[in-house]
Amino acid sequence: MAYMSMGEAHRRITEYLNRFCDSISSQDGASLKSLFSLSSNSHFLLSVADALNLFQDANRLIKQSEKYYQYAEILVPIFRSLQSYKQGNLVESYQSFEKSSNAFIQEFRNWESAWALEALYTVVYEIRVLAERADRELASNGKSPEKLKGAGSFLMKVFGVLAGKGPKRVGALYVTCQLFKIYFKLGTVHLCRSVIRSIETARIFDFKEFPKSDRVTYMYYTGRLEVFNENFPAADLKLSYALKHCNPLSEANIRMILKYLIPVKLSIGILPKDWLLEKYNLPEYGNIVQALRRGDLRLLRHALQDYEDRFLRSGVYLVLEKLELQVYQRLMKKIYMIQKQKDPSKAHQVKLDVIVKALKWLEMDMDLDEVECIMAILIYKNLMKGYFAHKSKVVVLSKTDPFPKLNGKPVN
Amino acid sequence: MATETKQPTEDVKIDLFEDDDEFEEFEINEEWDEEEEGKEVNQQWEDDWDDDDVSDDFSLQLRKELESNAENEKK
Repeated sequence: MAYMSMGEAHRRITEYLNRFCDSISSQDGASLKSLFSLSSNSHFLLSVADALNLFQDANRLIKQSEKYYQYAEILVPIFRSLQSYKQGNLVESYQSFEKSSNAFIQEFRNWESAWALEALYTVVYEIRVLAERADRELASNGKSPEKLKGAGSFLMKVFGVLAGKGPKRVGALYVTCQLFKIYFKLGTVHLCRSVIRSIETARIFDFKEFPKSDRVTYMYYTGRLEVFNENFPAADLKLSYALKHCNPLSEANIRMILKYLIPVKLSIGILPKDWLLEKYNLPEYGNIVQALRRGDLRLLRHALQDYEDRFLRSGVYLVLEKLELQVYQRLMKKIYMIQKQKDPSKAHQVKLDVIVKALKWLEMDMDLDEVECIMAILIYKNLMKGYFAHKSKVVVLSKTDPFPKLNGKPVN
Repeated sequence: MATETKQPTEDVKIDLFEDDDEFEEFEINEEWDEEEEGKEVNQQWEDDWDDDDVSDDFSLQLRKELESNAENEKK
């Protein structure tokens, strides 16, 4: 740290206080926002932190002037937070930041217009990332990490301030998205439900009026929730919306959307082109797509094994595992087409023996009963039309449309 | 391997607070050209892939397999 005189320290602290009060009196949201933005590591904030560490009596400065004192409940803890932040004590920093933020939303609530929304966004973002860092510090000291959970409760309070009628409502979706990030990280996604209900049932506010960046983020997370709930048509709608409206330059975000949208599309019988997998670096889906095209059960099994860890982590493993029935359907169709080329009149009769042999070739040892069971499932799920002649051990396929397409609907 | 046995348990603990797929923040009020949105990515899907073609390598092998078996049966 460069040498700083006491006078210089005093000057910097006063400058912060003046900037703070002036930005409120002139309703300058951008200026106010920069005073909360710890993670920006701005030169100004860091120099104020140094000044506070040198000049130990900043609270007296606040108390001396009515201009500052009216915001003492915001300013005293934000100073403490800045000091701790600079000293690398993130748990302390978080605690003070939360105190300051609480006082800030009390003020914010009283301001009639939404001029300070940007500053509120910054507070909300900062509290989340600071909580994450504080939790890492707690965990590394062997203590239980609990700050992110606390940040979630705080954000719910902020959501309550915004979610009513009036001009501030436009900010509710930003806070919702930050809450999603917390809940997904903590693995408490069920907590998303109440905010979603509040966003989606509010007739007074059109979803389109929210900022686009928040709409895209919101659809990404709610789409992921629909994937977990195995509600594929809804997941398709939401993730496709996110994909369609995402900033085309945000490749990392597009890749994340695709990571979930691709399994959803596969489950309703739609394949991504190779270009998509290559451009967004999603090689884990290459062989799965190939397996579907071919009817190659062996390849599907290997593709699932190769990336098992990745699929389990993102929660799409079960979705992909269920593609097996579609691959069976495709294999049956291949067998049928091959028979048809040989002898069209008998093609719609497929002997169980033949299926057993095809499966054996694909390294799947199944006896007649097992294969019969699979055929019954294919028929029941309407992936195959026909019936099973138990005595003669033959699948008799319907002459019209024996392998119905999914046409964008999930296997029932 | 034996020396690394402690590593995995640590990882699991930290895993509890991870989401590998956390959406990156957009700038506040970030805007982008609506014309460019989804232009490429939305055309990259096929719903009519389930054709009757059996001339690919996999189908040819499958045919060979089924035919050789059929011959074996006759013997």
